[in-house]
Amino acid sequence: MSEVQRAGLQALYPFLADDGTPAGSPAERHEVLAALTESVARKATEIVDLRREMVESCGDQLAACAQAIATAAGRGGRLFTFGNGGSSCDAQQVATIFLHPARGWPVPAISLTNDIALVTALSNDVGFDLVFARQLAALAKAGDVAFGLSASGGSANVVRAFGEARRLGMLTVGLAGYDGGAMATAGLVDFLFVVPSSSIHRIQEVQTTLYHLLWELTQRQLVASESEVGGCTS
Amino acid sequence: MRYVTVQQSARTVAADLLARRDAAGTSLVADAAAVAEAGYAMAQRFHSGGKLLVFGNGSASTDAAHLAVEFMHPVIVGKPALPAIALNNDIATVTGVAGRRGFADVYADQLRTLACPSDIALAISADGTCPNVYAGVIAARERGLLTVLLTGNSGADGRLADHLLVAHDTDPAVVKEVHVTIYHLLWELVHLLLAEPAVLLLAKQDTAAVPA
Repeated sequence: MSEVQRAGLQALYPFLADDGTPAGSPAERHEVLAALTESVARKATEIVDLRREMVESCGDQLAACAQAIATAAGRGGRLFTFGNGGSSCDAQQVATIFLHPARGWPVPAISLTNDIALVTALSNDVGFDLVFARQLAALAKAGDVAFGLSASGGSANVVRAFGEARRLGMLTVGLAGYDGGAMATAGLVDFLFVVPSSSIHRIQEVQTTLYHLLWELTQRQLVASESEVGGCTS
Repeated sequence: MRYVTVQQSARTVAADLLARRDAAGTSLVADAAAVAEAGYAMAQRFHSGGKLLVFGNGSASTDAAHLAVEFMHPVIVGKPALPAIALNNDIATVTGVAGRRGFADVYADQLRTLACPSDIALAISADGTCPNVYAGVIAARERGLLTVLLTGNSGADGRLADHLLVAHDTDPAVVKEVHVTIYHLLWELVHLLLAEPAVLLLAKQDTAAVPA
């Protein structure tokens, strides 16, 4: 345990500094829960502030991105979503809200992390870095949308997928954190949203809001332009 | 010009959507004590060897998978991996049970076979109307598991689970966003407490009372 972590624990559990409260007493439990509650409240406030700061700073870009997705969908484009770990769950969420929305127009969308046979086959035979790029090469075409998420911005397979998406002529949308990592430096993403935090959890929470807003704004664009969406185009 | 108009209107929409999120997020600050109690009880279960079984439908199924991967493969180097299984991930079993017994039994059936009394069942239902999620919570309670239910502002029965954690909104997107914060906080509390296990012995397990 580092000195910083130890100091953090001391701050969280003041009774460790022996303030005379009898060990194991209900009063001591109350103290611990009160300290935990304070910590939870602080972080819950932090995310409200970070979410507002992020959305206010990228409002125009969100609107332009939603318009580009709606335009692509209106022309028969489909969404392909991808990410690793927790971001793979976000990729599935993005796909399912577009494909099967609780309200509004369905937009064809496929998550590239769903098919475990394919993911393990490609990882085993070709390499994990290509696990999304190879799927795009087979499934996607010009006019489709590549939607990739990486909390760090540095996932090699996500960056490789954006490279393939560019080659195919897809619209590329990326969500990243920290300083954007390779997703920012590679220059392959048309609309890149970087959450300025160093906490993976807070980054993921703001990213969840960002893709929900993109979905909501895309829906409004589709309604406004009365686009015909869906159907088989290939 | 049309593009500018559309952008301005989208900005107005985004501001409204953000205001709604501010309200739901601020409500969570007021519920911090309930989150802390749930995290404390979960840490006690992990400390005594229990595992986490987590489940939800649709959007919440991605949250279940997310929480399981967080515990199994911690993002912070040096934190211990903790046992967790998302019951909605096994599509062969989910569709198998749904086909034979009906969709309402897909989680309860797995819990009856996979769960031990020392485990934790964490269920997620944004609109509070998922019969299979409720059946899972009931099956978990019958086996003696600690039960935690994440739901939205839809009046879920507080007596159903040991810990009911509510995201105060009715829009499923907003509810999900608050849920992500809630389970990240639960994860953080569990790891904080497991690093200092003496504090888990301050009270008998699972003292959080179920409202009568």
